[in-house]
Amino acid sequence: MAAAALGTALVLAACDTGEDVDVDQDGSGAENGATDEDGDAAPVQGTFVAAISGEPDQFDPHVTSAYASFQVLENVYDTLVVPDDEGEFQPSLATEWTTSDDGLTWTFTLRDDVVFHDGSEFDADDVLYSFNRIIDEELANAYRFASVDEITAPDAQTVEITLTEPTPALLDNVGGFKGMAIIPEGAADEYDLATEGAGTGPFAMGSPGASGISLTAFEDHWGGPPSVDQVEFRYISEATTALTSLRTGEVHWTDNIPPQDIESLQSEDGIEVGVSPSVDYWYLALNQDVEPWDQLEARQAVAYGINREQIVDVTQFGAATVNQTAIPEDNFWYHDYAPFDHDPDQARDLLDSAGVEEGQSLGIMVVQDTEGVQAAQVMEANLADIGISVQIEQEPSSTWLDRQAEGEFDAFMWSWLGNLDPFGFYHAQHYSEGGFNAQGYNNPEVDDLLEQAASETGQDARKALYDQAAEMIVDDVSYLYLYNPDVVQAWAEGVEGYEIRPDRAINFENVTVAE
Amino acid sequence: MTSEPDTASVPVATEKHRPRWAETLLLLVRNPMAIASGLVLIGLLVVGLFGQWLAPYGHNEQFVGGQLEAPSGSHWFGTDEAGRDVFSRVLLGAEVSLRVGAVAVGISLVAGVLIGLLAGYYGRWLDDALMRFMDMLFAFPALLMAIAVLAILGRGENNAMIAIGIVYTPIFARVTRASVLTVREDVFIRASRSSGAGDARIIFRHVLPNAAPPIIVQTTISLAFAILSEAALSFVGLGTQPPNPSWGRMLSEGRGFIEHAWWMALFPGLAIFVTVLAFNVLGDALRDVLDPRQRSTLSGKGAR
Repeated sequence: MAAAALGTALVLAACDTGEDVDVDQDGSGAENGATDEDGDAAPVQGTFVAAISGEPDQFDPHVTSAYASFQVLENVYDTLVVPDDEGEFQPSLATEWTTSDDGLTWTFTLRDDVVFHDGSEFDADDVLYSFNRIIDEELANAYRFASVDEITAPDAQTVEITLTEPTPALLDNVGGFKGMAIIPEGAADEYDLATEGAGTGPFAMGSPGASGISLTAFEDHWGGPPSVDQVEFRYISEATTALTSLRTGEVHWTDNIPPQDIESLQSEDGIEVGVSPSVDYWYLALNQDVEPWDQLEARQAVAYGINREQIVDVTQFGAATVNQTAIPEDNFWYHDYAPFDHDPDQARDLLDSAGVEEGQSLGIMVVQDTEGVQAAQVMEANLADIGISVQIEQEPSSTWLDRQAEGEFDAFMWSWLGNLDPFGFYHAQHYSEGGFNAQGYNNPEVDDLLEQAASETGQDARKALYDQAAEMIVDDVSYLYLYNPDVVQAWAEGVEGYEIRPDRAINFENVTVAE
Repeated sequence: MTSEPDTASVPVATEKHRPRWAETLLLLVRNPMAIASGLVLIGLLVVGLFGQWLAPYGHNEQFVGGQLEAPSGSHWFGTDEAGRDVFSRVLLGAEVSLRVGAVAVGISLVAGVLIGLLAGYYGRWLDDALMRFMDMLFAFPALLMAIAVLAILGRGENNAMIAIGIVYTPIFARVTRASVLTVREDVFIRASRSSGAGDARIIFRHVLPNAAPPIIVQTTISLAFAILSEAALSFVGLGTQPPNPSWGRMLSEGRGFIEHAWWMALFPGLAIFVTVLAFNVLGDALRDVLDPRQRSTLSGKGAR
């Protein structure tokens, strides 16, 4: 069960958040006036081809945890609210929402002009059905409703969510990414959601193939039909193939770019490279139930012993920002705090005072064939300097999760993707009873701060609480934060209307191709 | 090679007064290809044994800010993406290659020869049972089976040795069995049997030494394939684990940098190429001198 819970860690880790649909785009439907005659006069922009590096495991938005799946689903499903590229929540299927004075009741007003791809009309019952499916079947994202007492529909256009305690992160919880998609009532019985789509998004899902999947423009989309007729996703795991296809014009867009190629691509004609800071972070967690890492000095020694800049250079070729906390610099919740410099002498002193002997071994568990392997090699070299002998333990992600759940590790390295609210960044990972606190961190003061922050509704007061908690988490080396990687994507020159986003959500609703 | 002459005293052509191993060695050194490959392999062995002292830098010693430097006086083969000296890593990789090759071939040699001896000597149902099982193993493409074995055992250098060892066992079993069949009914075997020698004694004192030449040749050639297999397995990430240097892994890492840093892939690639070639050439040369028919032509040539 713990393993299942940690599966969600990767869900989060693997999932993107949010959709780029802008409600104000109502106008864009009108602009595409030619399409108003239903399809026949569709804008002849043809097919947009995107090469993605991963392969979706399935297409049920409530079940899957793969980022590749969400890349497709982003264009097929909608949520009540969506984050914009600043991480602020905007209307989507809900046009507005209010919070009661005690913060315990949220009322969402729904759009009345939405139809599903199968032609059925959208109303409050669909929202209830979707959310209850996640809660009742204890699906991957059920924890997002942890503070939800009841969800009701006073009328067809209104949804009311009653909470057991104030939850400022509620918008993120119900609309942070397409894992919270709204599906039509009864869809799980009617369709095989793993292979069939039943959304309200700008594109309807075709049948999945082994090498890709096609989406067709949904003419009756509430935001107006999308600007291209079709979006074709191709699964290309080999980066050189993806880049060659981009160069020859076979694909219009790809996210499969090795960091070492960014620089040369940027100077290449016909290709545009988008680089944007992301909300993802990489970290190392030392097992606090294992000697000597149960000692603060030993953990701090590791924090002083590693060279973050070097790690970023080797794994990302600079396409990342070193950070000693989780939340990236341009985020509202960012807190400038960086107590650890690379200082081998200090590290050795700390090891001495912790009584750690020269040659102490440290197994670092990483998921096989990820950039974590690269980072671990740098750490091996860094920590050898202070007398710690690192063994790199590559595991398939399933084994990795099992070992993490069982606590069978000295240390592990991995990343979290797509968090938007500080609750997502800090709570479950560092709360003593937190679902993702595999490292065994237990600091009553931090627990206190996290509890207060979770239900504090004043934004500035809330930020102050999280800042305080973050400092203690960093000082105690619960997580040893490393860096925020950049989102890197490339597209053909002439592609317009696409926006690269920090949460890695990719949305092709308004994309156009020249010619 | 050296253990064979004394027991072979009965029927095998005893040429003049020189012991047979000396004769073999003499024939071998007359072949310039054999000498060249032998020298390469001796050099490789030295590097493999003393690489730690020969390599200018450690296998995971990283130069901050010195990433992807082209070959130069201070880094003969350049540096890789982590700022590590490629020359040092290629030298240290020799040890890994040789160790994996030797242990893997050791496993298949012991297992294969034993199976081949039993099957060939006792024949009948034991022969059928053992050899059909070997056929079964043999039916799988070698690398595919090694990958399958590693999927069960988990990745890593030790498991790679076991996997490669298993994969090459049937070849040794076949070669040994075929060779045993040709000597099993020889007069000297029958003679020792009638004089009351036990099976074990006959097998190990008489059959094995006389069946040895093809096995020796097979060993040399298998070393080449085992090293190649280790490189292949490490290339796909299943063999030697980072940060330990393995030519195959370096090659696969270098592949991603082929446009920026050709030296990362070229030098480990060359190392694999030269090593495998040397083992193969030596194996061929050994076959020539150990095969009785070839041998007489060779000696004939030499006499003239």
